[in-house]
Amino acid sequence: MKALEKLTAHLKTRLTDVRKAKEQGQKVIGYPAGGFFPEELALACDAIPISFIQAGDNKALKDAGAYLCRWFDPFWRSQIGYLTSGKDPYYMIADLIVVPITDNHIRAFSNTVGYYTPERASFVFGVPHVKDNLGLEYYLQGIKRLKTKIEEFTGVEITETRLKQAIELCNRERELFREISLMRKSDHVVVDSKDFVALHHGSFLADKTVMVEILESFLKELKETPPLPKDGPRILLTGSTLARGDSKVPDIIDSAGGVIVMEEFAEGIRPYWNKVTVNGDLMAELAQSYFMDRVCPGWFRPGTGRLDFLIQLAKDYKAAAVVWYQLMYRESYKVESYFFPDRLKKETGLPLLIVESEYDAMETGPLTTRIETFIETIRR
Amino acid sequence: MAEYYDKLLRLCGFEDNEINEERPRIEKAFERLGIGPEDMESSEEWVRHNHDVTLQGVRKLLGAWLKELIDVVLAKDEGKKVVYFGFPAILGPGLILSASSEDVLVTAPDMVLDHTMGQIFNKLTPILEAGEANGLPPGHALCSLWQAKIGGIAKGMIPVPDFALASSYYCDMGSKADDLVTALYGVPVAYIDGVMDSHWGEYPNYLPERVHYLGAQINQALKMAEEVLDIEIVPDAWEKAQKDSRPFRDKLVRLVELMKADPVPVSITELEPMETFSSSSTGRGIQEGIKAMDILIREMEIRVREGIGVSEKGAPRVMLRAGHTSDPRITRLAEEAGLAVPLTFILGSWGGVRVKPKGNYNTPGEIMADYEMSGGYYHGTEAQIKFYEKAAELMKLDGFIATYIYNCRPVATISHPQKKYLEEKTGLPVLSLEIDNFDSRAYSAASLRTKVETFAEMLKAKKAAKA
Repeated sequence: MKALEKLTAHLKTRLTDVRKAKEQGQKVIGYPAGGFFPEELALACDAIPISFIQAGDNKALKDAGAYLCRWFDPFWRSQIGYLTSGKDPYYMIADLIVVPITDNHIRAFSNTVGYYTPERASFVFGVPHVKDNLGLEYYLQGIKRLKTKIEEFTGVEITETRLKQAIELCNRERELFREISLMRKSDHVVVDSKDFVALHHGSFLADKTVMVEILESFLKELKETPPLPKDGPRILLTGSTLARGDSKVPDIIDSAGGVIVMEEFAEGIRPYWNKVTVNGDLMAELAQSYFMDRVCPGWFRPGTGRLDFLIQLAKDYKAAAVVWYQLMYRESYKVESYFFPDRLKKETGLPLLIVESEYDAMETGPLTTRIETFIETIRR
Repeated sequence: MAEYYDKLLRLCGFEDNEINEERPRIEKAFERLGIGPEDMESSEEWVRHNHDVTLQGVRKLLGAWLKELIDVVLAKDEGKKVVYFGFPAILGPGLILSASSEDVLVTAPDMVLDHTMGQIFNKLTPILEAGEANGLPPGHALCSLWQAKIGGIAKGMIPVPDFALASSYYCDMGSKADDLVTALYGVPVAYIDGVMDSHWGEYPNYLPERVHYLGAQINQALKMAEEVLDIEIVPDAWEKAQKDSRPFRDKLVRLVELMKADPVPVSITELEPMETFSSSSTGRGIQEGIKAMDILIREMEIRVREGIGVSEKGAPRVMLRAGHTSDPRITRLAEEAGLAVPLTFILGSWGGVRVKPKGNYNTPGEIMADYEMSGGYYHGTEAQIKFYEKAAELMKLDGFIATYIYNCRPVATISHPQKKYLEEKTGLPVLSLEIDNFDSRAYSAASLRTKVETFAEMLKAKKAAKA
């Protein structure tokens, strides 16, 4: 796909481009990839949003070990490792780090930012765990404080016009992801999951306007390309986090002949199902979309919204099975993994395989055996 | 007529008339818990080995937990509506519900099981294993308190609650495990939500939004409780709840004063069953616990007057985060290594370092939220570490045994920053010690002893060099 080549080329020079932009006075805002930071606020100030999305390499966990015990989600320990070691330049380029605090794993990262790297400017705000009007109001208050902070930091006022333009740009990106994703409902496999995930991961780093162009090209190419020659069992892959660099499980599914037709993840896959309404109070609309309308992650209470959505996705995308990919010590997902399979079975008849990772190379063998066996079983 | 359990219950501070009056309840509860004559000898030995039973106050404290256990086990049989909350907890909502209806029992059953099936009968392991088999498997750093709760329900030892108050302001695991209870047993849950979104350097300040949000969540949970339990929260419930719990705090202040003595008059192991009432019980346990505190304080006063203590005079003084809830051998390690332990986090935060709420709020929820934010425990990691710093001055400490609970994420966030911060700010040595505060199978006293003893030797040598 030419669009993907364009993305690769864009990312190849991205750091250099961002550095040049910084030299010209633009600010870079770094944020973790959980989908609760409205990038629109950065874009409306001419700042560059760059997401912390890298993980999968066990070495980052070793680096994190100097700052936190091991009993935390390896994705978040990786963020600590990259932030403190300086080994990934994307983590060093941010002028301001914004952390929307969701659960205690993210809080550990936020503590590290605040305590161990006080020289880095940072801002935290909370994301409630309950979807109700009180939670919505709290989230809105948080992003309003964030807006003020970003305005002060960049020296640019976020006017209605600027914010509206930024929302429209981000809406276009969401709309394109959604359109591409919806094509996967087809009986024929038209989109390779690897490509779809690569687009998501790229979107966390790329220039937004360039990314929209790439997605438009990708969609156009898709419409002109014949279906892929894949006829394996259709897999719904779900979990807390699918990081850039963590392709072990999707790769094994692919090698075993499974075809991933949908990825549902709270971190690493951009929420793209809803658009932000551009009428009325734009900050309130951002809160509505980013907090209330998005599919809740597993650490929301209760997490039934997400589980309902998974069942719907499984039906809509004609999945033959679900692979539940959880990261070690992310307790919300672990606990749900006990009672969800029965519900899934009851409502869809589908089997579910639970796999776990701590980004350790030693896992590859057992994971391969389990996934291959699972897919073999579905085929029969 | 005397029964097989009389001797043990007397050891645990029961009076003869209490045993006689409660006999049918005791027998019914023990039967459900699988406690029989064959357990008595080992239980007595376990209690005597682990607790200073020469102190009547200690015996009464153990008895208070046993009474709470009997009440929990029989609650449904006796027509009570049962409400469970997670530990640690903001106790206020539970106290309000308790104060509103005598037909409601509000408790933290996992803590009750730990203090009784663990500390008295040494039979917690099968309960934990039942928890592991029912949704909370081993090897994933899941909360062992929750394993006890789920295990206790699965084994039919404690009833399925009618309602749950989830401490969503602190713990991800707890709220999600409440989802598990809902999925398995259909129990309605009120998630009292809050967000620990402090930035480093913020404490002791906090945004009014946090108070409003947490306060509104508490008020909302109370409203839901009224509907689910079909009770009415009486207008003076909050005042009554405060009145009932105030003696506990007042006595803790006195007790912390006594623990400043050198030598330290009692082992922190004896205070653990008392301090944890502060966020575990809203019923008979805490009321009996308050009575036991009176006795214990008198006994401690005598010891202080007479210069009697559990450590040598002049022994290095350290603070522990908390005592072990189910296995006192772990709590006692520091003292066995020759250290004096005058304070724990819970003891100090309720009775030592005083904090003043900031706002002027009117609803019970907001008043509670304001108090908890100023107290720091639910504020964030930095607030907790700063508490240790204050404790060093309060208790003239020589070091810290800064435990962190590996399978409790809100606590484990403190693992590394606490050591660096405290060493830099206080100049005192810090032993960072990973433990499981509720289950000693993987983190046993034997496995921790070497680290504690080495640290103790270092502190002793340091103190001797100073002298």
